[in-house]
Amino acid sequence: MAESNAVEIRDVVKVFGFGEFAFSAVDHASISIRKNEFFTLLGPSGCGKTTLLRLIAGFEFPTSGEIILNGEDIAAMPPFKRPINTVFQSYALFPHMTVADNIGFGLTMLGRPKQEVRDRVAAMLKLVRMEKLADRRTSQISGGQQQRVALARALAPQPKVLLLDEPLSALDYKLRKDMQIELKRLQAETGITFIFVTHDQEEALTMSDRIAVMSAGKILQVDTPRAIYDAPTDRFVADFIGETNFLRGRIGSVSGGIAQVETPMAGRISATLPPDFVPDGEVTVVLRPEHACLWLPNDSAPCQTTGTLENIVYFGTDTHYHVRLQDGETQFMLREQNKPLQRQRFSVGDQVGIMFEENAARVLRN
Amino acid sequence: MARRFSVQRQRGFTTIAITCFFALYLPIVVLVFYAFNSADSLSSFQGVSLRWFARAFENQQVVDASLRSLQIAAVAATVATVAATMAALATTRTEPYRGLTLKYAFINQPLMVPEIVTAVALLIFFARIKIWTGYTGLGYLIAAHTAFCVPFAYLPIRARLENMDSTLEKAAADLYATPWKAFRYVTLPLLWPGILAGFMLAFVISLDDVVITEFVKSAGQDTLPTYMLGQIRRTITPEMNAISALFLLMSICVVIVFFVVNRKRV
Repeated sequence: MAESNAVEIRDVVKVFGFGEFAFSAVDHASISIRKNEFFTLLGPSGCGKTTLLRLIAGFEFPTSGEIILNGEDIAAMPPFKRPINTVFQSYALFPHMTVADNIGFGLTMLGRPKQEVRDRVAAMLKLVRMEKLADRRTSQISGGQQQRVALARALAPQPKVLLLDEPLSALDYKLRKDMQIELKRLQAETGITFIFVTHDQEEALTMSDRIAVMSAGKILQVDTPRAIYDAPTDRFVADFIGETNFLRGRIGSVSGGIAQVETPMAGRISATLPPDFVPDGEVTVVLRPEHACLWLPNDSAPCQTTGTLENIVYFGTDTHYHVRLQDGETQFMLREQNKPLQRQRFSVGDQVGIMFEENAARVLRN
Repeated sequence: MARRFSVQRQRGFTTIAITCFFALYLPIVVLVFYAFNSADSLSSFQGVSLRWFARAFENQQVVDASLRSLQIAAVAATVATVAATMAALATTRTEPYRGLTLKYAFINQPLMVPEIVTAVALLIFFARIKIWTGYTGLGYLIAAHTAFCVPFAYLPIRARLENMDSTLEKAAADLYATPWKAFRYVTLPLLWPGILAGFMLAFVISLDDVVITEFVKSAGQDTLPTYMLGQIRRTITPEMNAISALFLLMSICVVIVFFVVNRKRV
């Protein structure tokens, strides 16, 4: 269904440098971004997410591959011909113009009549709640306000796709939270496809319809935030998003999608095998800290493994437990939500059992 | 208040500063002072008068030389500034590559080659062209001045461009501005103070030049500095002081205009 896709990236490669200094910033990336979607490119710095965004914007041109917009390959088109606008990390507002002139710039360049530009600028100012500051210089407004102007400027020409390059990274915590909500509202109101680049996993999880996790130029997993968090298909994804326990081992037996994995640190544990997984040799079992719980041995619960409680860290909303597993080296982390008037059940040094559902633990390739 | 290190508290600072100021400005003050002398002499002051200013304005040679200087400086500075702007854009709006430093050196060559060498080279070169074409007009002086003005215009323009966020030009391109429109509506307005500074500097350098002008000029093509040099070889009258004072006034005006225009733009 090509019709429902806003942008299709087909096998795009971007190589920088020549000869022995050549490296692939984007390495055979393919993604289909749907219309009206809030799509996030997530990864650590240097993973190629910004390069991919620049390729879509037209500031870089791919070494090979296609970028399809409206059924047309735009990979070689200069940026001023693409119906795509960008919100830059540094905002890049024109310092010699007023707020209103900044917002109207795109439409003016498109040669729209003056009255239309004025009306549209007024509508955009209203959309980002900046009506009163229309005639200010961009140097006379705060960082959060500059952010809004940058958004309004990029939205004013009604692009097919809006690109956002870590736009919230320069804002302080409180303002960033507000802008996250604001961005979601703007996306819903305008119905424009947003492609958002960030290295902040929390931001990605809370805002996105779908996330693509990138590392070393490759796209590792594309899915909804819930699926990315609960069912990572790649070790790196599991490690990068949230906190994870990794238990290396070897598959013993498999039945009904559940594998029995022999691990040196935790003995035999049962974990879910992803559907297309071909079991062979060394694997890693990944488990989120909040998907497991602690028992005292005399509770006689069906524990998957046991260990010694080493550390208890109180975080207000929840408590973290660090357990040294049987091999005496591996540390296992658990997180339990605190309930009112709960008394402390465990103390450091206790022998404890760790229990988790077999569908919370997942087998991944090493 | 915490005591911070300040060079002003170093011993002897005031003495050194005052000495430097005297060395720099005393000769100029004396020169301007004697421009208002009513006597014929440079050494004895007999009263205030504008007589030498009047003499300078009546002297057709002085007027001609001044106008010629201004004409050459205006054309040379304009052409040099346009060339320097293009050179600055070409050398800053590009990924660094091998050979870029060599290009800087080429553009700034007039700053490094001794002026007398350029002067002799141009003399010989232009002599050839004069024989071939028969043209003997002001073009040679203008061409020579343009050439040595380029680096003076180039340096402030490049400095301004390097400090300018190149994301702004990307943002313009992103907002449907063709390369020309992006330059016209974003780069040029932001670059303007640099261009103006470059132009002013080139203008003053051209106005002031003696060595290259002396070698390149044909008969009857004296600029104000070469005319003054010629006069001083014979007799020195306070008329020279008056001309120098006017020259000084003009440079001060140029600098003030620059500051006023520049301040408005920031």
